[in-house]
Amino acid sequence: MSKIAEKSKNVNLQIAFPFLGLAAVLLFFQIATGGRLFTSQNLKAVLNDGLYIIIGAAGYAFMFAMGLLDFSIGANMAVSCAVACLAAKINPWLSIPAAILTGMFLAGILGTIHVKGNVNAFITTLAGQFIFKGLVLIVLNNSVQQAPLVMLKWFTLPLKISLLLVTVIVGYLVFEYSVYGKTCKLIGSCEEAARQTGIQVGKYKMCGFLVMGAIAGLLGFISLIRTGTASSQTGSSLMMNVLNAALLGGLPLSGGPTTKFRGVIVGSLTMSFLTSGMTIMGYNVNTQQLVKGAIFLIAISISFDRKNMKVIK
Amino acid sequence: MGQQELLLKVENMYKSFGITKALKGVSIQLRKGQILGLIGENGSGKSTLTSIVAAIQSADEGAMFLEGQPYQPKNSVEANQKGICMILQEKGTFDTLTVAKNIFVGKENLFCKYGMLDNKAMNKAAQEALDSVGADDIKATMPLGKLNFEDRKLVEVARAIYMKPKILVVDETTTALSRNGRNILYNIMKKMKSDGNSVIFISHDIDELMETCDTLTILRDGAYIDTLKEEQFDAANIRRLMVGREVEENYYRNDWESCQNKEVVMSMEHVSAKGLREISFELHKGEILGFGGLADCGIHMLGSVAFGNIEPDLGVVKAGDGTVIGSPRDAMKKKIAYISKNRDQESLMVSSSIKDNICCASYPIIRSGPFLWPKAENEFMNRWADELQIKMQGPGQYVMELSGGNKQKVALAKWLGFGADIFILDCPTRGIDIGVKSNIYSLMEELRAQGKSVILISEELPEIIGMSDRTIILKDGSVNGEFKREDKLTEAFLIDYMV
Repeated sequence: MSKIAEKSKNVNLQIAFPFLGLAAVLLFFQIATGGRLFTSQNLKAVLNDGLYIIIGAAGYAFMFAMGLLDFSIGANMAVSCAVACLAAKINPWLSIPAAILTGMFLAGILGTIHVKGNVNAFITTLAGQFIFKGLVLIVLNNSVQQAPLVMLKWFTLPLKISLLLVTVIVGYLVFEYSVYGKTCKLIGSCEEAARQTGIQVGKYKMCGFLVMGAIAGLLGFISLIRTGTASSQTGSSLMMNVLNAALLGGLPLSGGPTTKFRGVIVGSLTMSFLTSGMTIMGYNVNTQQLVKGAIFLIAISISFDRKNMKVIK
Repeated sequence: MGQQELLLKVENMYKSFGITKALKGVSIQLRKGQILGLIGENGSGKSTLTSIVAAIQSADEGAMFLEGQPYQPKNSVEANQKGICMILQEKGTFDTLTVAKNIFVGKENLFCKYGMLDNKAMNKAAQEALDSVGADDIKATMPLGKLNFEDRKLVEVARAIYMKPKILVVDETTTALSRNGRNILYNIMKKMKSDGNSVIFISHDIDELMETCDTLTILRDGAYIDTLKEEQFDAANIRRLMVGREVEENYYRNDWESCQNKEVVMSMEHVSAKGLREISFELHKGEILGFGGLADCGIHMLGSVAFGNIEPDLGVVKAGDGTVIGSPRDAMKKKIAYISKNRDQESLMVSSSIKDNICCASYPIIRSGPFLWPKAENEFMNRWADELQIKMQGPGQYVMELSGGNKQKVALAKWLGFGADIFILDCPTRGIDIGVKSNIYSLMEELRAQGKSVILISEELPEIIGMSDRTIILKDGSVNGEFKREDKLTEAFLIDYMV
């Protein structure tokens, strides 16, 4: 009996770690901001920031599960937002397909290079990030573009809440209970064994890239209706936020079966409150970047099994 | 014998990995000039014990004495200095370095002049080391990755011998070696003995141990069972001590009939691939077709090509109805299953749960629409885990925590559950204890009786002779002989076709 108890204790600690992180962040900022963290006004701000993080992290989870890292999502979001903005000038409704298709197209190119060209995902998407950052300046003609004002009215509370709910519910079901989600984890567990079980690894990876691209595009669109503008700075903090959310949620960088969607949700909440807490305390974006970078390193060093980690294969 | 000086004494050794108790108070003694065989089923603690002696792991409790002095090595370098070297069961070399650099890894200082590495001197010394163990066809300047598994093992042997150890630990190295390689190793052990040094030899092969060792210590479930002197050696008795109950001596098939069914379920036509030349054969329904040969003769490649894992350069692999098999997916559509010799890298996802591993090939059966419900998965996994009597703590246990035999059962359960009709089994009993081994043999007989077909690839001739309806021997990538099941088929006869 004691053996079983011991084992379940370890398991519980693993599960508890992300929750403890979230509680610590909540407690710290609730005190540090003098109780301003849970005002309704701030909760709305948390929802605004958190929306990007949770949707981004939900898509990222599938990449993570396969052991893939995508460093291009922020830049992809910026390009999609810029293209959507140009499309919106023709017809506001056109911006939705424009954003999503652009995101899928860009991610599709990277996915093809990774899958067909056998260039590893880390290198491909890192290069993609730089290319997209250049691309966004070209699309925006080196300036900030304004979207039609009517679109700002689209960013309503019901829309935000329904987006959030759909992401969480669909993401959870697909990730934990669908053949697709399971298969992604199997690929992350051992790619060669997955291939020898008849799984078409290339197709799944390509699919992961395309979904990630569609989500980057969607986030580009959300950014457009939230701010009304498209600039080269759009999405600049997305990458770090999403990666941090995944890590704080306890997702292993190496992918595989211990990747849990629960972690995505908890990690995203932690990052959302962290961002918002720092904003209330008056830290500017640069300082926030610094803190997030430090958290990234700490999260990696304390909580993960680095023996299996293959960031650069 | 028995009166020589005591070289190493291990007392009351305990070691746990998490909740698994690998050693429960084991004591052994090793005298000078002794070849001590260690035998026991998987998970009996042999490897754990020796890796503690070689300081690759540390014990939780217990003491060791080397020549009467307390021996508490901090790491394997210190153990090496004290004269204890180990040749590991798993690969312990670097592929991208040359053979010479592998032999002298960590000892480059020997060849340093003014801070520069003298490669020439190192290569020369390495070649001498290789020649001295009788592996003179390996060149010290070759990159290790170019060598086959067997030659790599011999490089490890040369590396260990170069240190002139007092105690050489050989951990199941022979399963990877051909007869020639084994003879080299046996000669080294004999030489160690005649020089007054000692060997600890771990193997699953009782005959091999009885031939080479002068003393045998038997472990079971992490506990010391007995030590036998040469004159007490008796295979049946050793087996009984290992398993803890009587085991039938002959666990192969008892009949001498060969398969009469002529229906072809799979075939290769003039297949050439890396290491294979012009291979053609037909596999019949209800047949066990054995492929034998030396380690690098192409038998393992053949299995991989048959499953569509590696596409042949020339020729085709076909299913019974003529469909060409070009990928594992194609093979699975034709209900072909494959378990690789490198099971843990290719056929199992060791960092996933037992449940995932058993279910993963059968998602099309278990799924309801796009979903996979835990209930359906659990039912499926319980059914097949029970069928094969997999010893586990629960469905969520990771496969990497299992013993070799249980891992193999998981791999078999995956394909049985999938409902395969053709099983390509590459070294299915490699590194597996007697109990599970005989389970696997009876399973193969059962499959045969159900009209399913098996391709059995093995480096163990007794296994192939004992199980196959038909045996094909490969040499240097080509078919060099085909034999029907007969009771007069002997190992010695087949070896002539292998070398």
